[in-house]
Amino acid sequence: MSKKDVESALARGVEILNEFLPAKPALYFPILYSACVWAVRRVFDYRDRILSWQVWLEPEAVLTKPDEFIVHFFLADEALHRVYAAELTAGDLKALRAAFPALYPVCGLEDAFLRGLFRKELAAGDFRTIATEFSTRAARARDDIRPAAAELGFWTALENLGEELAALGIHLLSDADVQKAVINAVKKKPAKDAKSG
Amino acid sequence: MTKRPRKLGGVGILAVSAWALLLDAACLTHLRNAKAAYAAAQELAAHYQTEQATAAYKRALAEAALETQRTPSAQAFMLKGLAEANLGLWRDAETSFVKAAGLGFGEGEAWASDVSLLGLAVSFEELGFQEPSLRVYENLLGKSSFKPVRLTAAQRYADLILARARALADAELDRTLSDLVRTIERLEASDFACGYYHYLHSQAEGHRGRYGRSYDEAVMARELGLPSEKALRDNDLQVVFCCDKLAASLGAGEREAFAAAHAVWAKKWGWKDPRTPGWKTE
Repeated sequence: MSKKDVESALARGVEILNEFLPAKPALYFPILYSACVWAVRRVFDYRDRILSWQVWLEPEAVLTKPDEFIVHFFLADEALHRVYAAELTAGDLKALRAAFPALYPVCGLEDAFLRGLFRKELAAGDFRTIATEFSTRAARARDDIRPAAAELGFWTALENLGEELAALGIHLLSDADVQKAVINAVKKKPAKDAKSG
Repeated sequence: MTKRPRKLGGVGILAVSAWALLLDAACLTHLRNAKAAYAAAQELAAHYQTEQATAAYKRALAEAALETQRTPSAQAFMLKGLAEANLGLWRDAETSFVKAAGLGFGEGEAWASDVSLLGLAVSFEELGFQEPSLRVYENLLGKSSFKPVRLTAAQRYADLILARARALADAELDRTLSDLVRTIERLEASDFACGYYHYLHSQAEGHRGRYGRSYDEAVMARELGLPSEKALRDNDLQVVFCCDKLAASLGAGEREAFAAAHAVWAKKWGWKDPRTPGWKTE
């Protein structure tokens, strides 16, 4: 596998996004990172993957959890434990239950798109912001992506990109390296963006 | 000046015949492709390769839809409805089953009615009317012979009961959870190889604090297969949760024996270690 080939494929991915979602650079990382995660697993039905992170088409998981499960979720993850130490010590289940619906899909079930969407907060360990902003930002991302989602060309281009990444052997890169490569690709100013200033 | 229709020469007739044959072959191919994709999806779902199964259901749907446009038949609409139901497209599935029934598919009407009831119950639930939606789910669990409907009704029923149970006092809570477990056990008895029912059972036992039983059911669910990635991951996290709870409650000897047995499962499932599923980032 050539890292350069992966980088140029990702750069083309940024061009695709710049074409279809020119004013929404905040979505570039979550979409490209999801594409990489799914490419590793050789899953290419991106359209539903991206659009249905809240509406899974198959029978849902049971999301009503007992208090013990919720406490365990916060205790078992070192970073979450640190941030919610006060609530855990005080046994403030109301606060933990309020944060759980946002943090469980991101940190527990590890939805790739949501992890991309909250990458900065995850990197900074800022779980409280995720808990507070989850509904608004997830809904906004879904609204923002809608115009591009209506164009078949967008999904075809993304699927082609995913297949190319899979063929290039992206599964040989670690998750951290994939994230780094995507960040670098997104940081480089695409031509269209440069023109519009 | 009007143009006279041109007569078809020998070559033209041949071309038309060839075109008709190709069209016919294409129709056959769509039906065959739809069947093959649907069978593949079921096979993949049974081996909990959930994304691939979803993709295969989508392929089956696309092929069946083409077939219904070109040669409407009971079989084509039934396949289309089945694929739609497995993708949770309840309204579309209902329409397809009604059409399949109109073209002679015997069970089409019953399936369409089940799918329609499920859609109604989901709408009730979304509008906050829990009582009528619970009644519909319960009714579907008792009578529907259509598996996708039974699975969705079971999950929604269990989730509603569990959410309700949280507000109950101890004695009533225990009775409610016992009733739920009995309902799930009846579902298991009707289809023991369905991993999803064992997953629901595991979740309910987790609410009762019966971690040993919850662990056993979660292991069974994983072994038998789950219909979605989300359920699979949630089930894995339930396994980890139960392991930790059991480790804290068992005596030293039992704990070691349990840890050794669990390590075998974790290895079989390709986990990074006994507490870290393979899909989890470090």
